[in-house]
Amino acid sequence: MSLDYLLTILKPMLEGAQATILLFLVAIIVSIPLGFLLTLAVRSSVKPVAWLAHAYIYLMRGTPLLLQLLVIVFGLPLIPGIGEYLVLDRFVAACIGFILNYAAYFAEIFRGGLLAIDKGQYEAAQVLGLNRWQTTTKVVLPQMFRIALPAVANESVTLVKDTALLYAVAVPELLHFAQTAVNRDFTIVPFFLAALIYLLITMVLTLFFKWLERRMQFE
Amino acid sequence: MAVVEVKDLKKSFGSLEVLKRISFEVERNEVIAVIGPSGSGKSTMLRSLVHLEEVEGGSISIQGSYLVQDGTYVKAKDLKEITSKMGMVFQQFNLFPHLTVIQNLELAPKLLKQAATEGYRKRAMDLLEKVGLADKADVFPSKLSGGQKQRVAIARALMMNPEILLFDEPTSALDPELTGEVLDVMKDLAKEHMTMIVVTHEMEFARDVADRVLFMDQGEIVEAGSPDELFGNPQKERTKAFLSRTMRNRRNE
Repeated sequence: MSLDYLLTILKPMLEGAQATILLFLVAIIVSIPLGFLLTLAVRSSVKPVAWLAHAYIYLMRGTPLLLQLLVIVFGLPLIPGIGEYLVLDRFVAACIGFILNYAAYFAEIFRGGLLAIDKGQYEAAQVLGLNRWQTTTKVVLPQMFRIALPAVANESVTLVKDTALLYAVAVPELLHFAQTAVNRDFTIVPFFLAALIYLLITMVLTLFFKWLERRMQFE
Repeated sequence: MAVVEVKDLKKSFGSLEVLKRISFEVERNEVIAVIGPSGSGKSTMLRSLVHLEEVEGGSISIQGSYLVQDGTYVKAKDLKEITSKMGMVFQQFNLFPHLTVIQNLELAPKLLKQAATEGYRKRAMDLLEKVGLADKADVFPSKLSGGQKQRVAIARALMMNPEILLFDEPTSALDPELTGEVLDVMKDLAKEHMTMIVVTHEMEFARDVADRVLFMDQGEIVEAGSPDELFGNPQKERTKAFLSRTMRNRRNE
């Protein structure tokens, strides 16, 4: 096993890792705010909005992400009549799939955070004369995000690993290049290398969230 | 004119009547202690004054303005205006855990734009000084003892310049050795003639500090009078039974 060999396979794998990281960033940056909007929709006093949000979350959490990706990438273009307009770049389509799926999970995480806030907080805000908007933005949300943070961190690590599902919709990413190298060179080394790169990404992520948790310690 | 006038207040939780035609008045600068067994409706009565509970019948008027008249509440805007004359201190403190002590004090006046920004800090520091916690201005509530938290909560309520201060069992969640520091702050406020309504289990406080004591039981004000009258010479059987029960517990402690 030469260093040259490692460097040779490392190059395409690092390119694949770019797709992995790009998908992760797009998915997390869009699905967190979207998930928060879903949380608000679930708690909406307009019943049809709440029902729709509930149904959406049920659908997204109740079916495999892989199935959702296959539907978006390969299924939608097959719909008679409108299918031809739904042919997207595979990577873009996969991003949409991840965003739609993860928004549902983040919505549930944030809902849990809201439930954990004591009703005394709302009462104190009301007696001090804060209106609903002020209470939400200044009292409730900062506490909700803090409570939700460990669960958000956990979900983010899961997202990093779920990016490997790109393999199934034939978007070249980290795992794809590892598999190619394994098949071509008949060695297990590329798999280990892939594992190392995933571990590196999740370690950076974990350290980031640990730092964020410390910053929001309220102590 | 009375600053608080309550007449025939009624409220039920399901089939349980928690307030059965409660009526009383509070004069300016008066300290009222409300005592009575758990579940007697004391807290519900107090909370209904600031609209944390909605009543089904009766009237509440604060400084001559009706909050609710014969069971009908005024418009939301007026409601806010009227309740803003009252501050409230809760049994569980309800400090905002994500804000430092001084941020807890400044949040509401800043949001409601009560004065120039530089005014808040000075006023907040003065009030922290008053409750003896100026050195804790920049710590988070999680670092405070229960007694310190409650003193911060009192200072936070005072930031809004309330005409009337309501206390809902302010020492019930505290370890016995911490109740004194909170009661001392309340005594100081009484000396400064703050109008206060205090729901409490602290009989000594009611006897020493209150101008008048209301004894509530099963949703009614059974007896009201000066501390001397009520503790020295209770007229009603239920009052006597409650007082002797409480005093016996006190001796057993």
